[in-house]
Amino acid sequence: MKSKKLSETIIKTFKTNGFVLSEPDVLLDSDYIIERSGEKFRSSMLTFDREDGKTMCLRPDLTVASCISFLQKKTSSKIYYSGQAYRRSGGKGTNFINDQLGIEILGSKNKIQDDFKVINTILSSAKKIKRKKILIKVGDISLFKSLINSLDMPERWKLRLIRHFWKPSYFEELLKRLEKNTDIDAVTFDADKKRFYEMKKLDQDKVVAGRSISEILKRFDKKIKDPRSFVDGKKIVKIITSFLKINCKLSELDEKLLDFAKKNNLKKLNQDVNFIANFGRDVEYYTGIVFEVFSGKNEIARGGRYDDLLKSLGAKKNIPAVGAAINLKNI
Amino acid sequence: MKDLITIGLPSKGRLKDNAISFFNDRGLKILQSEKERNYFGTIENKPNIKIIFLHAKEIIQRLGDGTLDIGVSGLDLLKESDINLQGKINIQRKLDFGNANLVIAVPDDWIDVQTIADLEEVSFDIRSKRNARLRVATKYPNLTNNFLISKGVTQYKLIPSLGATETYPFIGSSEIITDITSTGKTLADNNLRLLKDGLILSSNACLLFAKKKATKLQPFLKSFG
Repeated sequence: MKSKKLSETIIKTFKTNGFVLSEPDVLLDSDYIIERSGEKFRSSMLTFDREDGKTMCLRPDLTVASCISFLQKKTSSKIYYSGQAYRRSGGKGTNFINDQLGIEILGSKNKIQDDFKVINTILSSAKKIKRKKILIKVGDISLFKSLINSLDMPERWKLRLIRHFWKPSYFEELLKRLEKNTDIDAVTFDADKKRFYEMKKLDQDKVVAGRSISEILKRFDKKIKDPRSFVDGKKIVKIITSFLKINCKLSELDEKLLDFAKKNNLKKLNQDVNFIANFGRDVEYYTGIVFEVFSGKNEIARGGRYDDLLKSLGAKKNIPAVGAAINLKNI
Repeated sequence: MKDLITIGLPSKGRLKDNAISFFNDRGLKILQSEKERNYFGTIENKPNIKIIFLHAKEIIQRLGDGTLDIGVSGLDLLKESDINLQGKINIQRKLDFGNANLVIAVPDDWIDVQTIADLEEVSFDIRSKRNARLRVATKYPNLTNNFLISKGVTQYKLIPSLGATETYPFIGSSEIITDITSTGKTLADNNLRLLKDGLILSSNACLLFAKKKATKLQPFLKSFG
């Protein structure tokens, strides 16, 4: 009963702030989700085969389900949801049912305004359910990307570090390799020049296993030109780890970042952003601001900006979005 | 019979012949039924041992459900099986036959792809250019999945295959494959090539037994070392 009352209070705040109820489908096309979210998702989904052979799953997450519903033009762009999501989370005896309560702004045009709107709405709901001292932690994934892009290292290393930022343990492994200058490509690179010239004479639009000859040759060429080894691995790792250590009050942030930028001579980091750097690193789809709201030691809400998710779910163009969810279990 | 021991052996091909020789070499002469297609056998002077010839995959399943006490099957099939099933089966020892590798193979003409790191990059290319995932055809979805994820490859989709997986990249069913190979000839003959760090599992035949029956089997298993 108590938790029902809490949800009602929170929902009331959502509504007052202009968010409209979205009720996404409970059953979704499993192949569609895997196509978009990857094999890793498969093991956590609860699926069954329909009579016509189609594999369906219970919605594993309400953000993804709401995005799908939005793309099917079933909802407006500023929504809230309140319901259950279903997934396995490893470990025996864990609950399959997750109560989720959250808000999203899909197709968010004014990023700064919408980021603020989402954080502010979540914060005022948190305050309504009177808790211990409330603390917000903020990060920004895009700042990490700017940092990496400003560093002097081979292109493939930049891409690798950015792609795997959301998987902290694998990221650590990458940093170790970078530090020792052991490239994953260290195996002697056979420049199969002969075949390269033969293939140049072929029809460049011919497709081999889904990739055109021109695509293959272009990447081959680029690969030869990208330097195999470089000296500064250690220095670069130091910069990255010192960046990830930044953790300070908003009011001190300018100074800290400036100090960081000065020390490492990273002029490209000239951004006016506030945050904790090593943050929001467990969700693949976040692209910009990420935040968590704490009450005492409990995380009671989290969210962030995910500008690429809707496109990967099938939207024809980029649809920027930002959202957050309340963690009812910790309230 | 209280001390009856049931042993499952592969029912076909070289794996069957090698498994039979393995027992014969240790003085356990396997007697097959005179009817050519009969699936049962015995061991000379060992009335308490029953031999059943089964599909190698089936042997793993039947060890798990307790129908078989002992079995000979491939390490690849054991490792691919459900994790709960694996927990019910112990490896007594590896055998010196049935050697084969589970590997990742790509089309010969993908000359820019030599390592898993390349594959990972190409999978992101495919994702950003076509908004699709790199499709990996395989008879070993579990092993393939674990391997790729451990190597940081995430942008792919598995395509389950039952056979002739080597054709998949050329008929539009997948981009790359993983498959079991002993000499690499089938892959080469079908214009496929291994990645330098694409070895998923080095497999061979194993003597297996059901964990639950360990006490009862101990005296018998000892003789195999």
